[in-house]
Amino acid sequence: MNKWLIPAVTASLMLAGCSTVPRGSIPVVDGGSSIGSAQSGTPGGYGNQSSQPQALPEDSGVVVMVPGGGGSSMPIQSFPAGNAPLETTISTQPWSATPSAAPQSGYVEPTPSGIPSGGLAMDEQLDGPVLALLTTAQQQQGGGDLNGAASSLERAQRIAPREPQVLYRLAEVRLAQGDASQAEQFARRGLSYASGRPALQASLWNLIAQARERQGDAAGAAQAREQARVSL
Amino acid sequence: MRPWLGWAIKLSLVGLVVLAVFAVYLDAVVQEKFSGKRWTVPAKVYARPLELFVGQKLAKTDFLKELDALGYRREGAVSGPGGVSVAGNNIELFSRGFQFYESNEPSQRVRVRFSGDYVAGLTQAGGGNLAVARLEPLLIGGLYPAHQEDRVLIKIDQVPPYLVETLVAIEDREFFNHFGVSPKGIARAVWINATAGQLRQGGSTLTQQLVKNFYLTNERSLSRKATEAMMAVLLELHYDKKDILEAYLNEVFLGQDGQRAVHGFGLASQYFFSQPLSELKLDQVALLVGMVKGPTYYNPRRNPERALERRNLVLDVLAEQGVASAAEVAAAKQKPLGITQRGTLADSSFPAFLDLVKRQLREDYQEQDLTEEGLRIFTSFDPIMQLKAESALADTLKRLSGRKGVDQVEAGVVVTSPESGEVQAIIGSRQPRFAGFNRALDAVRPIGSLIKPAIYLTALERPSQYTLTSLIEDQPFSIKGQDGQVWKPQNYDRKAHGTIYLYQGLVNSYNLSTAKLGLELGVPEVLKTLDRLGVEQKWPAYPSMLLGAGGLSPLSVANMYQTLANGGFNTPLRGIRNVLTAEGEPLKRYPFQIQQRFDSGAIYLLQNAMQRTMSEGTGRSVYNQLPRSLALAGKTGTSNDSRDSWFAGFSQDVLAVVWLGRDDNGPTPLTGATGALQVWADFMRKADPLPLDMPVPDNVVLAWVDASSGQGTDPSCPNAVQMPYIRGSQPVAGPACGIQAPVNEVMDWVRGWLD
Repeated sequence: MNKWLIPAVTASLMLAGCSTVPRGSIPVVDGGSSIGSAQSGTPGGYGNQSSQPQALPEDSGVVVMVPGGGGSSMPIQSFPAGNAPLETTISTQPWSATPSAAPQSGYVEPTPSGIPSGGLAMDEQLDGPVLALLTTAQQQQGGGDLNGAASSLERAQRIAPREPQVLYRLAEVRLAQGDASQAEQFARRGLSYASGRPALQASLWNLIAQARERQGDAAGAAQAREQARVSL
Repeated sequence: MRPWLGWAIKLSLVGLVVLAVFAVYLDAVVQEKFSGKRWTVPAKVYARPLELFVGQKLAKTDFLKELDALGYRREGAVSGPGGVSVAGNNIELFSRGFQFYESNEPSQRVRVRFSGDYVAGLTQAGGGNLAVARLEPLLIGGLYPAHQEDRVLIKIDQVPPYLVETLVAIEDREFFNHFGVSPKGIARAVWINATAGQLRQGGSTLTQQLVKNFYLTNERSLSRKATEAMMAVLLELHYDKKDILEAYLNEVFLGQDGQRAVHGFGLASQYFFSQPLSELKLDQVALLVGMVKGPTYYNPRRNPERALERRNLVLDVLAEQGVASAAEVAAAKQKPLGITQRGTLADSSFPAFLDLVKRQLREDYQEQDLTEEGLRIFTSFDPIMQLKAESALADTLKRLSGRKGVDQVEAGVVVTSPESGEVQAIIGSRQPRFAGFNRALDAVRPIGSLIKPAIYLTALERPSQYTLTSLIEDQPFSIKGQDGQVWKPQNYDRKAHGTIYLYQGLVNSYNLSTAKLGLELGVPEVLKTLDRLGVEQKWPAYPSMLLGAGGLSPLSVANMYQTLANGGFNTPLRGIRNVLTAEGEPLKRYPFQIQQRFDSGAIYLLQNAMQRTMSEGTGRSVYNQLPRSLALAGKTGTSNDSRDSWFAGFSQDVLAVVWLGRDDNGPTPLTGATGALQVWADFMRKADPLPLDMPVPDNVVLAWVDASSGQGTDPSCPNAVQMPYIRGSQPVAGPACGIQAPVNEVMDWVRGWLD
């Protein structure tokens, strides 16, 4: 138990530290000198995923954004995702996005790619308030109360504005409400916070693909699916 | 004799018929109004509910301030809803529960543990961890109809112990026995008043008082008295005592709050104690019941001694009549009046924010719906932020008051959450309680240099042409406009700064280089950027627009900077979250909406420059008040002759815009940096925000450049600084310097030797 815990916690604390130190000491990403990635077809410039050395193996262990704890003074609580006790993971995450989306909307499950945990639910664990509110939202959505679900998710978003899983769920509910355009926007916002979390990125890109399909943008949807594939 | 009697019989018959017809008419009146909706209720506006969860940034003092405003009683051991006990960093409270749009929040016992300015523990009374809990929201105002009657409707089963007994004991002892009028009561009143030698008791029953307030005018005449008595009897005929008592409790007038008339015990309880009626204790009940006799005369805020005397008299009557024990009465008499203090959160009004809410509501609802249907409006208003902004403004203006002309300076402040687009606080005047010209919304003033980020953003969106370290010229120039006028911009210090890096133009707010850059980009292009940032004003494409000749309100500026703060995602600012009907049914939602308007890479670069504005440029005095480790981004703005002093800036979780200037548009002694920025910095110090921390977008690389040449270099070299670039636009990395070079040579030598 402790053997895996020490390196995993160390690695995630180190990564967490990297992500919260002030500007100026951000580690250099050696991106070589490839040109013009920003114009590769998708606004936001997510075009060059494959060429970026960002998906370190440890990354799948980074977990929870402590709400309100973005300051470097707060210890960031984290759980190694792949090795987390499975029973708690499954039982405490009934809102798990991937399974619920799959039957409803022809959502294509991303092919497994050696990431130990697999689906979005395993990508990371959430802590108390956000998990509780996402669970509530899931129940409300299940009961057909989409407005209530969206409202609960907005509550979660205020508590943890940079948690991409909240944005993912907001995008899902907007899609269920028939607002494909907003669904795509929320998924894109989610992507901006999902760096180093490939499974989540793939899910977000797949959601964008669905949203674009609903808007009649077949080419854009295909591009998004390709991004989803590349992310993993 | 006979004819006279016949006439008399006939006349009295006619009289009886007339009386009967009148009674039937009165009966219809009585029933019609009593059976329908008895009162219209103004819409109620609520602040955001305070959320509690582990890891939440919340100072204990702010938390207690909010609890005080919500009328929580400090107790040794929490006794029930509305109670709180404080022991060091551990606070236990019994929340009251509330129906929100999303869900019902239960009334529950909650333990909150604080550590520093964070919530470190949140548990239920049983000891189980609680993921998240909400306090009830603070009521911050209502939308009153023309007659300005306000009330909080209550049901008879919600009243606290002693209320009914006290009311009956003081106002109408025979209430449960009489049929609307009470001959016995009148007799007693006459006797009591005669023996006491003063008017201590009226003869009207509660039913008569209700009839008088409910159906009749304030006229004093015998015929009105007769009508009142008839209606009282009719009312008793149709409705039982409970209904009549409930109507009385809601109808009775208990005070005047400016234009607003405080009706009913439900609102009076909120108005005087900031507590729900059901929680009132014996002493509070006695005070309110005592006020029925003369709400103005016994107003406890205006005439506290008189009110206290009256309260204690009421308490004595209760002991006399056995309603409460002598010991209870003695204890109640020891208590102070307990009225909420003026100037505290509970007794403050926030006219500028309510103004914003009303404008939004009037777009979506009929006036009548707002003033009569009892709608519950849930807003994003954060009373803690509001008070911090207000005290920052007051403190700073006081500090600056030595300068000539500062006394005439007015103010507008807008505080939002950049991550949700919610408006948290608004100040519309340097007297924030004064409901008048709302400068935050309506003072449209030239924004000066606040426009500059839009120009630099336009440039940074073209990474093949412009980077933060592109060289630009800060040299005097002039151009002839279409109207033949010559435009000759000048720097604030009236100097030219030669060849500079692009970011330096923004950081130091140089007019020459910025205007030249804007002209290179094209004024229409810059205006397009402003449009995408959410600026609705359509300005003519004059070169002077590049230096902020166009006017915006502080709220519009907040809208513009919101997009910069939120990674290029535009969010229309919102003050209302949702609306419930009086019965608690969901009615309308104002959803969170976002739209990506800019590449996040370009925004990242711009934020970097705006952070440098704070660390080394025109905003650097902010760090006289705040720690250097707190990353902030912002921009100063000063219009011609310092007529307008602006500052707009943000941390990760707080965005604030401050405007200072005179209503008559006269010059002030304040620039953006010496005026508005000082207010902003003081506010940020009080708000204690999270440092700005935008994730590095995928298309951004951080490269080492030589600070003096702008050429690519290596971190080992002197003068090397790190700058962000859109991938592909960064300078080629230079060779390493210092000790590393010989090491490499040695390694080469060793390798050669080995070969």
